[in-house]
Amino acid sequence: MSGDNGRFATGVPGLDAILGGGVFDGGIYIIQGAPGAGKTILGNQICFAQAAQGRNALYITLLAESHARMIGHMRRMTFFDEAAIPDRMSYVGAFKTLEDDGLRGLLDVVRREVRTRKASILVLDGLITVHEKARSELELKKFIHELQTQAAFSNCTMFLLTSAFDADAHPPEHTMVDGLIELQTSLHGRRAERSLQVHKLRGTWFMGGKHSYRITENGHAIYPRIEALLETPSVWDSADGPMVSVGIGGVDKMLGGGVDTHSVTVVLGPSGSGKTTAGLQFLTGGPANEPAMLFGFHENPMALRIKADSLKLPLKARGEKVTLMWRPQTEAVLDEVATELLSTIRQNGVRRLVIDGIEGFSKLTDEKERIGSFLSALCNELRALGVTTLATAETDHAGMTPGQPLKGVNQTGLSAVAENIIALHLAALRSENHRLMTILKSRDRRTDMRMRRFEILDGGIVLDADFQSAERILRDISSQGPAPTPSTDLKLTGE
Amino acid sequence: MRTVLIVEDEWAIADWLEVLLSEYAFNVLVAGNGREALDILHRDTPDLVLTDFMMPFLDGAGLIAAMGQDERLSGIPVVVMTSLLEHVVRDRAGRFHAYLRKPFREADLMRIISEIFPGEA
Repeated sequence: MSGDNGRFATGVPGLDAILGGGVFDGGIYIIQGAPGAGKTILGNQICFAQAAQGRNALYITLLAESHARMIGHMRRMTFFDEAAIPDRMSYVGAFKTLEDDGLRGLLDVVRREVRTRKASILVLDGLITVHEKARSELELKKFIHELQTQAAFSNCTMFLLTSAFDADAHPPEHTMVDGLIELQTSLHGRRAERSLQVHKLRGTWFMGGKHSYRITENGHAIYPRIEALLETPSVWDSADGPMVSVGIGGVDKMLGGGVDTHSVTVVLGPSGSGKTTAGLQFLTGGPANEPAMLFGFHENPMALRIKADSLKLPLKARGEKVTLMWRPQTEAVLDEVATELLSTIRQNGVRRLVIDGIEGFSKLTDEKERIGSFLSALCNELRALGVTTLATAETDHAGMTPGQPLKGVNQTGLSAVAENIIALHLAALRSENHRLMTILKSRDRRTDMRMRRFEILDGGIVLDADFQSAERILRDISSQGPAPTPSTDLKLTGE
Repeated sequence: MRTVLIVEDEWAIADWLEVLLSEYAFNVLVAGNGREALDILHRDTPDLVLTDFMMPFLDGAGLIAAMGQDERLSGIPVVVMTSLLEHVVRDRAGRFHAYLRKPFREADLMRIISEIFPGEA
């Protein structure tokens, strides 16, 4: 429904945030994109969203698919409402009128139909046909101008759909309309990614750049770039309160009593070093009634429950207070995943979060330069939401290099977002692998940075009381000669 | 030769019906909406009207209502061709002879016409 400022939300998830709140009553907007970009679905989705609010919507087609086929396709969409047709949502064809009577005839159809149907939303599907029918650029400009006048006088917001787009061209109608929204599909390797870009929006701020979108049975879901959406956190951070236990007694002591509430702690380590175990301990280490969540890219909820059971961690006992969210890195979209994560956190009031495999975010996009600002925005929002976070990140096995136990530990991109960094190592001494842990960073706190040996037993990670055994292991490794060269180097930022 | 008036705002459907019914030896008239149909009905009296429901200027319900008020036209059988559900059409339109859900096939249309003109289609 229209707001006090003469704007209304389109009702398309994510789009209104990008449009700075929605579109203006009586405005005229072009939605353009190649065939298959989803213009028709978007047009219908906007119409049905408004019809659901009690407004009347009109969909006029020119050279488009038949109404029967279009309605048949839309029936599969959850936004489709059969009961809205034909009173609140109607379809009419106007190609023959355009062909016989030209642009003037089409304007007459629009004027009469908007008035008789009391339409406050109009979609004109096939602007390119009008373009082709216009005898001159001036005639097209006059058509758009008269359409603008009609839109303003009838207070009907109009969306003109067109497949025409040439990034270097500047069709005359682009300079005249109130907004220009483009739907694009680009290939990344063999993977196709859809994105939406607002090129122009009169009278309001809008979120520039490209934003990913998906089309599902729910229609369009648009995911504003997280670093743009959360340029500043949605609420003010109030990082006060007691220190938070990481759930591993010895580590709390090394950290000077735990971590700050609403802070981000990163646990780095190679595969098999105990990162997920540390995460599960953190997850179950808070008060029993505190909402907690583990978000991971690798292990599914069943595997995590089995692991927690085998470690005798009280995951099962926490019941619905703990959410396990698994998002495999298949065809996922970076901003979609982050949006879902934040949405679940808000919905469940999560206060304690584990992100298992934070480097997974970088694998969801080819735009590696985004990751630093993406993680920064995400972590700032987590702090603002009052969430204390422990994130794990995988490193290579270079920590076995004698005398250089931290070699290969790539912190790039993490130091800026994490208050605390804990590194886990696997140290090979003769036939035996030892697990070692150290604190690399602990913001504003006196920290015991000496290494500790640890084991994974019932209850999870158990640290040695002091650094003596860790020192002995490292000394013996130094005396046994060089270790094998690591074969992999997984980096978080792709730099 | 029977005359059929097609009332359809989607030109491609109107064209297809015109060609199809001509092949079945009907005399075919075509209107792009209910208003154009009434113009034709002022001068011609077809044996059958095939009409879409959602159209510009005058929709199917308006056309059926206007025909019902004219003694000369009220007896002409009307077939409504639409994507809308039948009860939606029946709630909004007066009397019509038959309902044909879009998209339909040639056989569906010809079955209804043969019921209206037994032994002719």
